[in-house]
Amino acid sequence: MRYHRLPTMVAVTALTLTARPSIGQDLSDVDEIVQRANLATYYAGDDGRAGVRMTITDAQGRERIRQFAILRRDVADGGDQDYALLFSRPADVRNTVFLVTKHVGADDDRWLYLPSLDLVRRIAAGDRRTSFVGSHFVYEDVSGRGVEEDTHELVETTDAFYVVQNTPIDAGSVEFSSWTVWIDKDTFLPIKVEYVDEGGEVYRRIEALQVAEFGGHPTVTTMQVSDLRSGGTTVSEVRDVEYDLGIPESVFTERTLRSPPRQWFSVR
Amino acid sequence: MKLLQKLADWSIRHPRTVMLAVTGLVVALGSQIPRIAIDTDPENMLPADQPARVLHNEAKETFRLYDLIVVGIVNEGDPDGVFNPASLARIHELTRAIEQIDGVRRQDLLSLSTVDNISQGGPGVVQFEWLMRTPPQTREEAGAIRAAARRLPLIDGTLLSEDGKAVAVFVPIDAKSESHRIATTIDEIIAGLGGDEEYHITGIPVAEDTFGVEMFKQMGIAAPAAGLIVFLLMWVFFRSVALIVAPMIVALVTVTATMGLLIGLGFTVHIMSSMIPIFLMPIAVVDSVHILSEFADQYPHIGDRQKTIRAVMDDLLTPMYYTSLTSAAGFASLAFAPIPPVRVFGVFVAIGIGLAFLFTITFIPAYVARLSDERLATLKREQRGPHEETLLARALTALGPRTLSASKAVLIVTAVVIAVSAYGISRIEINDNPVRWFRPGHPIRIADRVLNDHFSGTYSAFLVLEYETPPGEPEAFDTVIANVLDEAAGRGAVDLTDQWSALRQSVASTPAGATLDALIDAVWGKLDEADDEEAAIWEAVLLVLEDAQTEAKLFLTPEALAFIERLQAQLGTVDVVGKSSSVADIVKTVHRELREGDPRYYSIPATASGVAQTLLSYESSHRPQDLWHFLTPDYRAATIWVQLRSGDNQDMRRVTDHVERHLAANPAPEGVSLNWAGLTYLNVVWQHDMVNGMLRALLGSFVIVFVMMLVLFRSAWFALLAMLPLSVTIGFIYGLIGLVGKDYDMPIAVLSALTLGLSVDFAIHFLQRARAIHKEEGEWRRTVQGLFAEPARAITRNAIVIAVGFLPLLASPLVPYNTVGFFLAAIMAVSCMVTLLLLPSVMTLITKRLFTWGI
Repeated sequence: MRYHRLPTMVAVTALTLTARPSIGQDLSDVDEIVQRANLATYYAGDDGRAGVRMTITDAQGRERIRQFAILRRDVADGGDQDYALLFSRPADVRNTVFLVTKHVGADDDRWLYLPSLDLVRRIAAGDRRTSFVGSHFVYEDVSGRGVEEDTHELVETTDAFYVVQNTPIDAGSVEFSSWTVWIDKDTFLPIKVEYVDEGGEVYRRIEALQVAEFGGHPTVTTMQVSDLRSGGTTVSEVRDVEYDLGIPESVFTERTLRSPPRQWFSVR
Repeated sequence: MKLLQKLADWSIRHPRTVMLAVTGLVVALGSQIPRIAIDTDPENMLPADQPARVLHNEAKETFRLYDLIVVGIVNEGDPDGVFNPASLARIHELTRAIEQIDGVRRQDLLSLSTVDNISQGGPGVVQFEWLMRTPPQTREEAGAIRAAARRLPLIDGTLLSEDGKAVAVFVPIDAKSESHRIATTIDEIIAGLGGDEEYHITGIPVAEDTFGVEMFKQMGIAAPAAGLIVFLLMWVFFRSVALIVAPMIVALVTVTATMGLLIGLGFTVHIMSSMIPIFLMPIAVVDSVHILSEFADQYPHIGDRQKTIRAVMDDLLTPMYYTSLTSAAGFASLAFAPIPPVRVFGVFVAIGIGLAFLFTITFIPAYVARLSDERLATLKREQRGPHEETLLARALTALGPRTLSASKAVLIVTAVVIAVSAYGISRIEINDNPVRWFRPGHPIRIADRVLNDHFSGTYSAFLVLEYETPPGEPEAFDTVIANVLDEAAGRGAVDLTDQWSALRQSVASTPAGATLDALIDAVWGKLDEADDEEAAIWEAVLLVLEDAQTEAKLFLTPEALAFIERLQAQLGTVDVVGKSSSVADIVKTVHRELREGDPRYYSIPATASGVAQTLLSYESSHRPQDLWHFLTPDYRAATIWVQLRSGDNQDMRRVTDHVERHLAANPAPEGVSLNWAGLTYLNVVWQHDMVNGMLRALLGSFVIVFVMMLVLFRSAWFALLAMLPLSVTIGFIYGLIGLVGKDYDMPIAVLSALTLGLSVDFAIHFLQRARAIHKEEGEWRRTVQGLFAEPARAITRNAIVIAVGFLPLLASPLVPYNTVGFFLAAIMAVSCMVTLLLLPSVMTLITKRLFTWGI
């Protein structure tokens, strides 16, 4: 396995986040905006692969690393998906595998393989707001929040962004009272997301710090989530992004857990 | 002394100037008082750089430990306790409301509504979900929550009681100084909840901050109340408002000037310094009462107020000077105590005594000189008529000769008292607990009792384990990597030895704990640039480094966790420990749930990576951050949270002693150091320092006072006699503390200085006058008669005024104030009795030596 660090890799068209005049006509249908954003963010290509390195920094500035290869395969655009993650760093969690079958409108199936305990377990969670492997990301940030779970309101259209406010339909299932997303008008990638608590205060923020294009798909390559209450942040850097590899369905089955097929997981 | 005499004389002649000067000084210093900055934090009992305090604060920072307010909700009436839908709904509502309070660390708040449950979701399914996302609708659901919570060792006993009658909410707060405000807000929320549940709020920060708030209320109530009673008593003795206003002014002026000076110089008013007014008031009044007592006795005979006051000042200046000096020395000795607030307290009381003396010898004569004869006429009249005053006078006059005949009996009684006191002192228990600074009926005391009855303990201490790689040891991975590189070069591949050496050199200055991380990062950098052949070698190097990194994460190793586990088992054997929690508990709980909830797997996985993967699973919950209260992200430090049912220093001490003994027989893994942190522990440290400091200060001032007595009397016998009342009084007071089982705590320790200062006063007055009278009379029996006239009356009046005057302190809800009130009375009574009974008895036996030597 060979990894290349991000800075040397982002040779591809890096899209700056500064406001640029939009090319086409502004959209006004919030549902269309939200749908396109969902597709751009989570459904680029029919499948994809990337190496991810998460740097988790706590309020005291202490860092931890989580590094893994991630594979994705869409069952249908905007519909169900499969994910497979193979951890490589730190060494003590190497070869831990996380497998997810995402079901739109229903609970996902999640499996975990812990090599040192030689254990395969299905993980059931009451919601998708649990931490993603101890980072400041929640599980939902990685696999996507169902567009049908919120009501959406286009609160502003700026030169560069559609600003959409989302209010959960089942307020009891989440810890926020609303979230606002700044969607890039060209790429439809969310560039900033802010979560507001019941007191009206922003307590959590996700920012796309770097975007690059791979195989015609604009992709967020550096993303930062800030927990404004604790002061901790997690930066997720993506490298070796490839789309439309033709990853077979069999890679996303339980067999992968104990013996992950190296040819698919080896990030260049 | 001549100078002081001149000053007093000058004051009698220039009363207006004196009044103006005093007023000016008081206004100038008093104007500083509004700048008051209050500090109620007992942590400040330790200097900021005190090692234990530094460690405590480092641990707080490292493990993000916040001071905790504990809210307990108890339902005794319902058969299911609090685990019924209505009670849980209220607890849920309370939790959500507390989260909103400013100053509450909501992400660390612990309540049934905010913690995660890990459980079995079917065969092979591990379930992470909120324990109580929404309140249950049925009793069955409520029961299920209870059953789930009882399976979580971190929560069981902490957030819910074993019997299900009570649950707790642990509220972490940003600053201790906010606890009273937050606790008050929580009270208001509770008031709006309704229901039959009982609510209790406690925790050391609440006790401390609430104490601070109450303390300042007491300053406003107790000190003026004492002032009023002192005033009334003086009126009973002197019957002249005009006359007794003077000591009150001296007291007020002294207190105002001293506190103004303290605040003006930028010192915060701490629990200790808030007591300065209460200590200064009796001391400031004492000298004035001596003067007034003499004045009232002599004025009717002399008839001229200026002549009278001059005569009185001649008599009293020397003893007053020495009593002030000795009292000041007693308090100034506290400047050598290792506790900053005690130092400030001692120094400023000493300054206050100096000011009081200055005001007494200038203001009192000036004031009396300005009084009109008409106003003093009452004094003359009253003196002639029969009233209590003569009752006291008659009693004292009768007492005098008896001390001559009963001198042996008095000595025997004294010997018995000393023996009993010695026994009492041997039984003194050194102990303190901020919660016990409140009376037993105070809501904080009740909450403390109820919650520690139901739960594993509301007092926290933390045992911090830190791992340092032993310095100077060659790193094992260096050898392995050298082999890897040699082997590669040997089989004809590229030789990377030089590059590796350069890398190794580049991280030489990195701190020990971060060397591996830096090396790993550097090798990653090499990998980026390397061709395929080199990359393969760097990969091999990386593997070695990562293995070493895994090993360096000591608190992921089963051995280190097993050590923690054993330590916790030992902690559990100390009765006062309700519970202890650590990363080992988290690992064991998650491991059990990963293994189908089988209790046999409530154990630590066999390998470090097994532990790491167990923790990875835990971190996929709603509250991964909880892990970092027990562990640092580099896994090189860990802490054990010890919950105690009592915050008594002695109980905490028993826990630390037990751990020490255990460690002696079962040493920690190599490189691991153990230290205690937490407020409960910190209280032990400062108290230990204080007791030692006070003892040294007491012994030191004992010596200083003796030297002063030698200078004053120029006679070893008189000096020894002068030490007698204070020695017997201190012995008696501390013997009493030991006998009645009152703990030797902060206020008691401070009282020793007061005892010394006040009880030597009477002896000085008595002996000084004894000498003067004997000089005139030349005969002991007549000397005693003289002594039991004015001098004895002045001493007795003083004792009564102060003893009774400070009884209002007994009504305070704060125990330290009660203690001061009670002991002031006891000090006065005992030292007055010892002076009037023991001194003449002893003097009778050694008359010859006393009056032939020396003079």
